Amino acid sequence: MTDPHDQTGAHRVFEILHEPDWFSGLSKREARLLDGALAFHCLSRPGERIRATVLRTEGRHFPSLTDHRTSTIEWPDDRTVVGTIEAHATGHPVSPTGVVDVVLDLGGSPQALMRNEQPPGRVHAARDAVRRRAPVAFDALRQHRTDRLENRRMSQPIPRVGRLHDTSVGSSRGSTKAVLFGLHWLELGGAEKWAAETINLARESGLLPIVLSDRPSGHPDIVRPTFDDALVIPLTHPMSGPQESRVLSQLFERFDIRGVHIHHCSWLYQRLPWIKAQYPGTELVDSLHVLEWRTGGFVDIALRLSNVMDAHHVISPQLRDYLVDRQGLPREKVQLATLADLTVDASAVAAGPAPAPTRKAGDPITVAFVGRFTQQKRPYLFLRLAARLRDSLGDRVRFVMHGDGELAAEVRADLSRLRLDGVVELRGADRPVSRTLEEADVLVISSDNEGVTLTSFEADAHGALVVSADVGSQASVVVPELVLPRAPLAFLKDAETTITSLLEDPDRAAALLARQRQQVAAFAALPRARDWTRELYERWAS
Amino acid sequence: MTQTNVAAVIVTYNRADKLGKVIEQVLSQNRPADQIIVVDNASTDDTGVVLDAYQDRATVHIERLTENTGGAGGFAHGMSVAYERGADYIWIMDDDCYADSDALRNLLDGQAAAEASMGMRLPFSCSVVRWTNGDVCEMNNPEPTWDWGKLLARGEQSVLVNSCSFVSVMFPRWVLTQFGLPLSEYFIWFDDQEYTRRITAAGPGIQVLSSTVTHDLAVNRGVNFGDVNDANLWKFTYGVRNEASYRWHHEDPFAALRFAQRLYTGLKGGNVPWRLRRRLAKKFIEGVRFDPKPAFPRTVL
Repeated sequence: MTDPHDQTGAHRVFEILHEPDWFSGLSKREARLLDGALAFHCLSRPGERIRATVLRTEGRHFPSLTDHRTSTIEWPDDRTVVGTIEAHATGHPVSPTGVVDVVLDLGGSPQALMRNEQPPGRVHAARDAVRRRAPVAFDALRQHRTDRLENRRMSQPIPRVGRLHDTSVGSSRGSTKAVLFGLHWLELGGAEKWAAETINLARESGLLPIVLSDRPSGHPDIVRPTFDDALVIPLTHPMSGPQESRVLSQLFERFDIRGVHIHHCSWLYQRLPWIKAQYPGTELVDSLHVLEWRTGGFVDIALRLSNVMDAHHVISPQLRDYLVDRQGLPREKVQLATLADLTVDASAVAAGPAPAPTRKAGDPITVAFVGRFTQQKRPYLFLRLAARLRDSLGDRVRFVMHGDGELAAEVRADLSRLRLDGVVELRGADRPVSRTLEEADVLVISSDNEGVTLTSFEADAHGALVVSADVGSQASVVVPELVLPRAPLAFLKDAETTITSLLEDPDRAAALLARQRQQVAAFAALPRARDWTRELYERWAS
Repeated sequence: MTQTNVAAVIVTYNRADKLGKVIEQVLSQNRPADQIIVVDNASTDDTGVVLDAYQDRATVHIERLTENTGGAGGFAHGMSVAYERGADYIWIMDDDCYADSDALRNLLDGQAAAEASMGMRLPFSCSVVRWTNGDVCEMNNPEPTWDWGKLLARGEQSVLVNSCSFVSVMFPRWVLTQFGLPLSEYFIWFDDQEYTRRITAAGPGIQVLSSTVTHDLAVNRGVNFGDVNDANLWKFTYGVRNEASYRWHHEDPFAALRFAQRLYTGLKGGNVPWRLRRRLAKKFIEGVRFDPKPAFPRTVL
């Protein structure tokens, strides 16, 4: 049997004194979570023995690996003890007497963790009840509020951290060249899919990937080959200040960290001024995907920290224009490099002819939704669109919803409530997305917000037309006639009309597909994110 | 080093006799525009023939609209196209504006010098507009700020202004991102005043005294309500509606009332027939109810 701890880069920084039997019996996911936690605690206390009590649960609980609860030797009743283990940081003489106790909770299974997180309190419960019962009305109010708050946000300047004058001497460095990555979590969605690709690129360039994730993450994606031999530390908050600085210092002292690349990681963003002050030679860059409504999200965090950063990589023209024109960042500091070829073969997005449509007038049309079932993707809009089209077109249209996520239970409930059982086919991760897109004539992107969706490129590569809400830079890859309003009622009305006309007029659909092909090809001809990043890492590695 | 991309935007409607010269003057700039976008507002004269001669010029891009959208709609469209085509600066003018050969270079240099001097981004720079006899063109005089001579005192050939006309004015790209496009709903008149006043929320504009153009108007006369007659009433109706809308919605009701008083005095002074005065009064009231919102350009690539 293979040891689940094989291929984990965490062993570069700690040693286990005596390996207990249960240690190799963990699942690979749990093994990597535990290794990351041990790496954190050993690095935060070099020279001391770390005695860890390892827990897991059947309940819906995220792991607790690095936060202050790990120092409390008491735990809730629904946790079970997996075992105990002792480890210490490599490269430091170990104190024969001192031992530090930590409690590492590996959390529940990934399936148990997939749920809609609600803040506690009656107000939130009431709000959630309204959202579940009347999602479209709730969304309409939400969009109205978004518009109001966006106007307010845009009218106020974003505060910026002060510039740092490079200190002449940085702290000591290790010898293994490395990149420090900051990820939101370890579920490889859109932004994290690109993050995973950059980790692969770093490895190819001869740099060790060190990966810190920000949000409690029990996701199964931690076992992906991307993270093989990488030093992965899944952080859980809040941590103590001294621990944070010691872990970062240890990483910089043990490795020659040439650069920091942030992919949606608030925690690491906030520590960039300190890194710039202590390790001034380190290049600090980020990749930005979506301008979040109401708060600006990671884009505005990046703006706040921009004075200590060297470059911002953006994936869409919308973000470039926002950072350069709206917020006044120097043009040379913002690099537009697209992900057009991240999930599709580069040759498929070249300006070749679109796959010839075979549908004739009168043939049924297949309309698909592909994406996580989350509030952002608004699956309830797709279901209501399906209900409208079923009423007007009958069996001339079929629907496929491919995805899963925290709203999965609500999607199933809506299916019954709208009498769409047998009309909408639900597909999960056990079926390849490519199959769904192969069958689809139209992909509907009903999202409340996006950057540029990777599924748009995939749909185009499979010859499916993309009908999308006008969010982010979707207009870059969707033909203007198929870009619909974001407001939910207007979206439903226009989507119904648009899809009906595509069904009735296959020639128009074919012409739109050809134009979509050209538009996607023009977008794909922009600089590619892979090329920009590879060049950056090769410079870091040299 | 990033190359600055300047797009010149010319909006034309039935001026086939002058358009060729306007385009040639832009093409012969000693700092050439990187692209020239000509918006044909559905002309019905020989404008199409004139434009055909430029169809294959590498830097000339022609937009032929299917309906006349007015100067406001034409500029909004042309600026949106320039933005989409990646322009860093957008230099706009009418189809009877002849730019002197260093007009663009001096606008760019003047803008850069003024920004360095002021330590801030400035939203526009405009040229000095002459009439055909060399006098200043009355219709195109910018409104100076209270401290208009600040840059002059520092030895620069620019003055600070609050607003200007759309006859040779240059906008940096960020202005469009931040403030949007001119209001195409205005159709004609006061669109330039509204837009330049809107964008001075970010700071004053400048008039670069060394950048000069000639406005080939039939007569050199500014807007005067005493001149209203049956033939030109249509233009004044847009002017009154638009200015009333601007004063009411973007300044305050008292500013609108002061405009009403100026309108009344002008019409009375010119002894304009009551029939026409009533038409304009109705347009004033329409302006109070008229409040279009700006569209924002976007880059698809």
